[in-house]
Amino acid sequence: MATVTYSKASRVYPGQERPAVNELDLEIGDGEFLVLVGPSGCGKSTSLRMLAGLEDVDAGSIYIDQRDVTHLPPKARDIAMVFQNYALYPHMTVYENMAFALKLRKTSKSEIDRRVKEAAGLLQLEEYLSRKPKALSGGQRQRVAMGRAIVREPQVFLMDEPLSNLDAKLRVQTRTQIASLQAKLGVTTVYVTHDQVEAMTMGHRVAVLLDGVLQQVDTPRALYDTPANVFVAGFMGSPAMNIKTVPLNEQGAEFAELQIPLTREQVAAARAEGGDGKVTVGFRPEDCDLVSPTEGGMPVVVELVEDLGSDANVYGHAALGGNSERFVVRTDRRSMPNMGDTVFVKPRTGRSHVFHATTGSRI
Amino acid sequence: MRHGKWPLIVTFLVPPVLLYVAFVVSPYLQAFQISTTDWLGYSPEANSVGLANFKALWHDDYVWNALKNNAILLGLVPVLTIVLGLFFATMLAMGGRSGRAGVTGVRGGAFYRTVYFFPQVLSVVIIALLWKEVYHPNKGLLTSALHGLGLPAPTWLGDPSTAFWCVLAVMVWSNVGFYVVLFGAAMSAVPKEIYEAVLLDGASRFTTLRRVTLPLLWDTVQVAWVYLAIFALDGFILVQLMTNGGPNFSTDVIGVRMYDTAFGSETKFGYASAIGVVMFFLTLSVAVLSLRIGRRDRIEYS
Repeated sequence: MATVTYSKASRVYPGQERPAVNELDLEIGDGEFLVLVGPSGCGKSTSLRMLAGLEDVDAGSIYIDQRDVTHLPPKARDIAMVFQNYALYPHMTVYENMAFALKLRKTSKSEIDRRVKEAAGLLQLEEYLSRKPKALSGGQRQRVAMGRAIVREPQVFLMDEPLSNLDAKLRVQTRTQIASLQAKLGVTTVYVTHDQVEAMTMGHRVAVLLDGVLQQVDTPRALYDTPANVFVAGFMGSPAMNIKTVPLNEQGAEFAELQIPLTREQVAAARAEGGDGKVTVGFRPEDCDLVSPTEGGMPVVVELVEDLGSDANVYGHAALGGNSERFVVRTDRRSMPNMGDTVFVKPRTGRSHVFHATTGSRI
Repeated sequence: MRHGKWPLIVTFLVPPVLLYVAFVVSPYLQAFQISTTDWLGYSPEANSVGLANFKALWHDDYVWNALKNNAILLGLVPVLTIVLGLFFATMLAMGGRSGRAGVTGVRGGAFYRTVYFFPQVLSVVIIALLWKEVYHPNKGLLTSALHGLGLPAPTWLGDPSTAFWCVLAVMVWSNVGFYVVLFGAAMSAVPKEIYEAVLLDGASRFTTLRRVTLPLLWDTVQVAWVYLAIFALDGFILVQLMTNGGPNFSTDVIGVRMYDTAFGSETKFGYASAIGVVMFFLTLSVAVLSLRIGRRDRIEYS
């Protein structure tokens, strides 16, 4: 078990000007489950591979337990990795796959046997130990890859989108298994995913990356409730938050007929640094109500209603400053409108997020 | 369509089958037939002698000597070529580890790959002549180099004790490049993550080659083995041009024996055909055996 520290770590791929990972500063606590999340090409996998030693660190450094590992080869770092495609050795049985690293370390036969059996028990793989990977299902292969990491008893687990080759149902199931396994073993884990639901449900803390730059690190709850900027606000949550840049006046933001009140400080901050009389306001689909026409909501023409069983997502558009803007609202199934209806949407007071119109940072 | 497809299939199938029968199957059968005669090649006279040629062959020390040489080639050429080919291909694919993270080849890999492939581009005749010059007892590259260092030099192809090994070295040299490219292509089909996993598991380069690369490339290695075995049982062109089986039959191979019997001083075509028939069955059994013995589970990547 160990802490992991990225200190201004950068990676620039040869022939590219923009760093794939730009001065990443990140502290991961002992036993913590940290999720790196972001859209494709944001540098999350590169960050993980830098920690694994599979990618060079061009500037800055990386520490595992205060030990500088920046230029150490992968095998000297005491880490284990689960790959997206599992990277099982196709010519070895499940047992041999898990035992391989231990054999290379000259661990005694009985110790290898004990650890492999233990991991197999933990992952319900006992009956498959003598099979080769090709005779296993996707979920079983994924568990073997996990097992191969577990038997190493490493200081840090690295997981690079380990669930993305599974089907939706299995993914949800495995998600909880991995989270509880990590809690049981208590090994520091860095987990890369592009799926914000995985990030929200699994991580103790979540680090959001965009274009190689760390946007925000916080608990899933805090990330969802107080996103640091427009990107994080739009990335976390499904369906995504409604984020619009609208004109600003003394009292607040103008959503056509609807007024979203802002505090005096918020207005002042929005005007600073070339806010240009605009402000970016976001509210989550579940943070608004459908009201009657007289209650002063924003008229939205319904285009699509997604009935999710428990509740419903209503997609529609409203005229905003001459443009037609799209909105999503989550609503109770009982008050579900029909396509073509006009509904009146009113965000709940105090639940909207305010960002600077040009810098995008939270106000 | 059920009725319409036959004309199409027949049109495509009949010409190649006819050509194959005329130019491959029929000469084989004729060779079998000739091997049971005492035909001398240039006369119309050919009497059937049954298996007399094969009996004579069994007691022919020159044939046994040639077969012994072929057996040594069969034992050494495939092993040496495959080991060297795997080694070079590994270095090109993942040899460069010092200072760089991840899995990369040695610096200048593309250059080496091209250079290794050069012998394959040259005609075998050129290779033979080239090496004959290198092995020249007076002005050859090797002799000059050794003399330059003040060391004595053997006469290479002129000495019965060294000639065979000189020819063997050329055989390996001329083949390695092709197998470097072949193994390199097979390695690039292996997902990169497997080698990264090996790296994380802490395997040395040699262990990686022995425990991971070789098993994963087994199918390709096996094919290489069969090709090289067939090459080792033949070896005619190189031997014929470099030493013609000499000195004192020390480099003789079965192919040269057959050629000499048929086109040498006596033109014993019947007897040469018998040698050919034996060679055919030997090659066939070696190929089948190596495919059988080496059979393993197919590798599938998830």
